[in-house]
Amino acid sequence: MFQRAGHLTRVMAAVWRISLAEAIAYRVSMLMWVLTTTFPLVSLSLWSGLAASGPIGDYARPDFVAYFVAAFLVRQFTASWVVWELSAQIRSGDLNTLLMRPMSPMLYHAIQNLAALPIRCALALPIGVLVLTLTGGLGWPSPGSLLALGLSLTLAWLLNLGVHVTIGCVAFWVTESTALFEVWLGLYLVLSGAAVPTSLYPAGLAEVIRALPFHASLGFPVELAIGRATGAAVTHGLLLQALWVAVFGALATVLWRRGVRAYEGVGA
Amino acid sequence: MVRVEGLCKRFSVPRREAGLRAALRALVRREYRVVEAVQDLEFSLAPGERVGFLGPNGAGKTTTLKMLAGLIVPSAGRVEVAGFTPSERRPEFLRRISLVMGQKRQLSWDLPAIDNFEFNRVVYEIDPVHYKRRLEELTALLEVGEVMRRPVRQLSLGERMKCELVAALLHGPQVLFLDEPTIGLDVAMQLGIREFIRRYNTEHGATVILTSHYMEDVAALCPRILVIDGGRLRFDGSLEALRRQIRPLRRVSVRAAALPDDPAALGRVVLQEGGRLVLDVAPERVPEVVGALVGLPEAQDLAVQDAPLEEVMRALFGREEAAELG
Repeated sequence: MFQRAGHLTRVMAAVWRISLAEAIAYRVSMLMWVLTTTFPLVSLSLWSGLAASGPIGDYARPDFVAYFVAAFLVRQFTASWVVWELSAQIRSGDLNTLLMRPMSPMLYHAIQNLAALPIRCALALPIGVLVLTLTGGLGWPSPGSLLALGLSLTLAWLLNLGVHVTIGCVAFWVTESTALFEVWLGLYLVLSGAAVPTSLYPAGLAEVIRALPFHASLGFPVELAIGRATGAAVTHGLLLQALWVAVFGALATVLWRRGVRAYEGVGA
Repeated sequence: MVRVEGLCKRFSVPRREAGLRAALRALVRREYRVVEAVQDLEFSLAPGERVGFLGPNGAGKTTTLKMLAGLIVPSAGRVEVAGFTPSERRPEFLRRISLVMGQKRQLSWDLPAIDNFEFNRVVYEIDPVHYKRRLEELTALLEVGEVMRRPVRQLSLGERMKCELVAALLHGPQVLFLDEPTIGLDVAMQLGIREFIRRYNTEHGATVILTSHYMEDVAALCPRILVIDGGRLRFDGSLEALRRQIRPLRRVSVRAAALPDDPAALGRVVLQEGGRLVLDVAPERVPEVVGALVGLPEAQDLAVQDAPLEEVMRALFGREEAAELG
């Protein structure tokens, strides 16, 4: 038991090292990636402009700044890109290499994602700080809510990973699984809170949107980070996140298992 | 070590006619055609054997190899390798085998090979002492001591292939699957890799299963050959036996001051020119024909040979060649 756990830790460390080395080899493209995923910062300029003449809903101008800078950072911290890697590996047959190793390809992808985090943070944090300095301050979460925030970020990352693996596995049957992901991404931009804080949607609609996985993967951790989710809303939000993680985790597991059986191992 | 019974693999391939109309129709209803890639394969291999899969392109060699390695799941039949069912891909099984594909890179492109080796050490749980010894042995044999410290993308095809082999053998697999390991390599490199594989096989008693387009690879390396064509096993035995089955006639040649009046009575005339005669003769008539030729005036250079390998292969893979010509 302990032996297995020890082996797993060593494997994780090894994947981490190799992925970190790869991430460093790709640091320029990573910087590009960070710069091109600044969508929340675009929303920020839009909404802070609109809020110049007075608050919109319960968001005044500084609230928008805090919200969208937090959204930008949460996206960087919880991002996954497994869908691109997985569908490319399935189509090219490069998945063969992962399948022949005595370790789970899914674990490999997960650790690879985590390994890129330090570099992403190093690139994203200065941008966040810069925007904050330019636009004037942000209230950091209280130490008490940091634990909930950490948990929420972890769940958001797991949820993103689950979604990515689920959609990536579609490539076992359909060539254009990344097109499916574009659809998901479109919905995500509108419904996650990346373009509009979901609490600003009309009553009735807002409740529905805030129950969807999109909000669980971005909007909720952002609200937690800027202190807008408190008390029962924290527990409720975390439970909802856990529920969606379970749903997409199960979907991903089923699709992966069936996909590997359908896999044709293309390429000579 | 390897047991295969009634092994089949079917692929469904989407099928549509050319043109826009067919493309639109395929959007609504896709039609599939079932391709029988491997049909009812049956064989078994003993530990330590070196076996070559021969067959034209698309014959089912690689598909069979992938089923043995556990990469793809059979449609029907049973496979057992080293006591495991490969398609379950249990870690204990994967640690006992290795699959090297000449046309696919397995090493991470941007890192030096040595980083990849170190990664394998951890993933395959190789004991550090073993690892160090085996790494030294393999890098010395394959002469990659310097090469393995450069990023893989800077290596030549041959250097990369050598590193792929090191990575594949560090954990000391009992069964080694090689798919076109020498493809695209120059002759010297082919010879080196061939020799290395033979050495690994004899020193570690590992079972080696190989597919190759280069007849020489298979001829030099594999005492046993399985010919797979159209997804079926056509032949199982030694190269000599294969040669005699495909081209049963012996080639008898002689040089003499005067040749027989009616050489066609002795066998099929391949060449008759100056004082030289080459005949294809049925095995049972060889003693008689040799007797007749020895009696010729100033007979010399009398030789009895099997048909040349290239001819055997041309006869065997005639279809492939026809396709290339056509």
